[in-house]
Amino acid sequence: MQRRRGTKGDIIAVYLLQRLFGTVPVLLLIALLVFVLLHAAPGDPTTMLLGQETTAADLAEAKRRWGLDQPVHVQYVKFVLAAATGDLGRSFRFSAPVKEVIAERLPATIELAAFSILIAVLCAIPLGVCAGARPNSWIDNVGTSFGLFGISMPNFWLGIMLILLFAGTFHVAPSAGRSTYGIAGPSQTGFYFLDSVMQRNWAALKDAFLHVLMPALALGVNMIGILMRVTRSSVLETATEEYVVTARAKGLAERIVLWRHILSNALIPIITVVGLELGTLLSGSIIVETVFAWPGVGSLLITGVTSRDYPLVTGLVLMYTVAFVTINLIIDALYAFIDPRIRY
Amino acid sequence: MNRRQKLLLAGLTALLLITAQARPAEAQTRVSIGVTETMETYNPYGDSVSLLYGIWCQVMGCLGTYDFDKGDYVGMLAERWEVKDPNTWIFYLRKDIRWHDGSPFTADDVVHSFNRARNDPQSKQTQNIAPIASAAAVDKYTVRFTTKQPTAPLLEYLFDRLIITNKAVYEKYGTEADRKYPIGAGPYKFKELVPGQRFVIAKNPDYPGMKQLTQAPDELIFRVMREDEQRVTALLNGEIQIAQFIPPHLRKRVESDPNAKATTVDSVEIMFLAMQPKPPFDKKEVRQAVCHAIDRDRIITTLLQGLAARLDGPIGPGQYGYDPNLKPKYDYSPDKARKLLAQAGYPNGVDVELQTTVGRYTLDKQLNEAIVQMLNGAGFRAKLLTPEWATLWSNVQAGKTPFYYMGRGSIVDPSVALSQYFETGGSPRIGYSNPKFDKLLATERQTFEPAKRRKVLAEAMSLLTDDAPACFLWRHKMIYGMAKNIDYKPTPSGRIFGEDIRVLR
Repeated sequence: MQRRRGTKGDIIAVYLLQRLFGTVPVLLLIALLVFVLLHAAPGDPTTMLLGQETTAADLAEAKRRWGLDQPVHVQYVKFVLAAATGDLGRSFRFSAPVKEVIAERLPATIELAAFSILIAVLCAIPLGVCAGARPNSWIDNVGTSFGLFGISMPNFWLGIMLILLFAGTFHVAPSAGRSTYGIAGPSQTGFYFLDSVMQRNWAALKDAFLHVLMPALALGVNMIGILMRVTRSSVLETATEEYVVTARAKGLAERIVLWRHILSNALIPIITVVGLELGTLLSGSIIVETVFAWPGVGSLLITGVTSRDYPLVTGLVLMYTVAFVTINLIIDALYAFIDPRIRY
Repeated sequence: MNRRQKLLLAGLTALLLITAQARPAEAQTRVSIGVTETMETYNPYGDSVSLLYGIWCQVMGCLGTYDFDKGDYVGMLAERWEVKDPNTWIFYLRKDIRWHDGSPFTADDVVHSFNRARNDPQSKQTQNIAPIASAAAVDKYTVRFTTKQPTAPLLEYLFDRLIITNKAVYEKYGTEADRKYPIGAGPYKFKELVPGQRFVIAKNPDYPGMKQLTQAPDELIFRVMREDEQRVTALLNGEIQIAQFIPPHLRKRVESDPNAKATTVDSVEIMFLAMQPKPPFDKKEVRQAVCHAIDRDRIITTLLQGLAARLDGPIGPGQYGYDPNLKPKYDYSPDKARKLLAQAGYPNGVDVELQTTVGRYTLDKQLNEAIVQMLNGAGFRAKLLTPEWATLWSNVQAGKTPFYYMGRGSIVDPSVALSQYFETGGSPRIGYSNPKFDKLLATERQTFEPAKRRKVLAEAMSLLTDDAPACFLWRHKMIYGMAKNIDYKPTPSGRIFGEDIRVLR
């Protein structure tokens, strides 16, 4: 048994490494695609970023300064060569290295995404398990309707409704932004939750929590719906397996059968869906961040696209690509830990 | 009293104590403003957004500003100025200004600022100093600007636009200075900038006159809130005290709240339909027919709910060179439009494609849908195209859009804008050329006597209105939402200075 497990582990490691190397051409291709698409799109960063008063000479000078006077393929090669050394160029709009600009905004998006997942998992899995364990009961009906609601709800609309209701009518939550000015101390990590815990600033923690709640809910609601339905059907399917019957025959309590035997085996499709949904979450954050004025990479991408900030958009798309690949790799690795056939 | 009641009482007492402690003795006044533009860089020269010009002017400093109440330019860091000869401007600086670190503000700082606006690799403000050939410090408090050619409207370029920064700090720390040592000389001090989120500035009591302004807010927080709904909700939720640019349809929501109010102000942004002199717009009659075809008053009273002022020429009241005796040239008359079209050789109508972007200007799409209907009712066969702003704007700048709806903002003195859109070689945006108009503009730029200059400007604008390379439509009224305890009169340019705000206690 021990020997077989080692072999599997090695296979997984080799597989993951292969996948890692496989991402290099993907990144090159994505960069090329973004480059071509951006340059093909009408609009020009110089006209977008310099004021209305700008003269033709100012525009030409800015083009030269930003290297836009060179042919696109030269710009691409230069970009790739620099990117290979970790330099993603300078943002036109922000007058700062793209890497710095992204790093500054990334914690906000990670914090938001983490909360969305947390909310989704905490809501969807118990609901799905209960619904799956008692099909066609009232809890199943409520859960399924709730799941349908979650899937069909456009998150930007839900976001606006949440703002109108909780900020506009009940005045219990802030409508926008990530924090109230003057409550939190200087940010050390960029993660406001971490910062406020490290600084033992509980007012700031509460403030950060209040700010993240609505956007996280708006962002996570689709995931709640999908995850709930997958959990339900996975539980339903696993419940018919023979070892479940055996577990029951052994006289185990229903609670243990459900949570230890059924759920742990039903987790594989659930994890897959969480992984897939993480990608959707990242793209969903682009819209939700705009609705809630959340200063993350999503709203940054909108700023970049509308001002045709080529280096920034390319850098962000590459970051999204890396994030997708990494998430998938992590999910692949997780299977090995969750699937009992690998463990035993 | 049982145990539960005791616990409840203890809890309530604790709560009371906490809330009592939380209330500071004499609260600092803090005003948050929901703004539509985003702040992204610590470099005062790294952006050319009107909001940021206003913020940097308060923090770093500006030579002067346009006072809309007086209808004239007033000094800020400059005390007075004179035109020595048509190409030489002398600015005399105030001697009582100190940088926020205590060092004196001098002419060297102004020259340094001019050089940075021109040479900083991140500068997006070279256009503001375009007419200037060189700057030099005459003495500690006197600066001389030499222009490339006589430029009477020079203040339009420099005031509210050229940000003055500290030379010594920049020489010591280089580009690090902007981020780590944002030391200004203005009435407010830099406190915090979180890119994409907020810009916080605090009152500088050492700035001359600021101590007396006891009701001016101690802290101003500019918060990025691009969505209209967001700004209104945040205002009604007490998160912000001033909300910029509220669309007409949300005005009632603000006004119906007992703690909020709405104020309007005429914008200095002029809205117009530009027509490139290419077929069919190469014929003056066709262009004039467009102007006659549009019922501007009806659009203003219905779609815009009265929140716009009609333009009968390029500019309106309050803008420099406006002629109050101007008679409207184009009444709404589909018949006249049809006759003009027939005169131009299009008795059976003519196809035109009007372009507008969506969501940049107030109700742009709806307004242009109405305009297209009106054009079609007056002999045109008009279609509406709605490209995304980046596309439209770069096409316009490249001279590729024949017929479009556009706004030109920040017009106090119209000289620069008129040259840019209508002078031969000004820009390809319209591609209009009229030697008579060019001559009037050239004369106006060399006329330094205000009354004379206003007359020449008025003549040029009258000519332009008649020749109609553009059909001037209206200036929007901007709506600001405010908390009841805020006394503030918004400016037509959208600039927000803390010293103009009063917080009623």
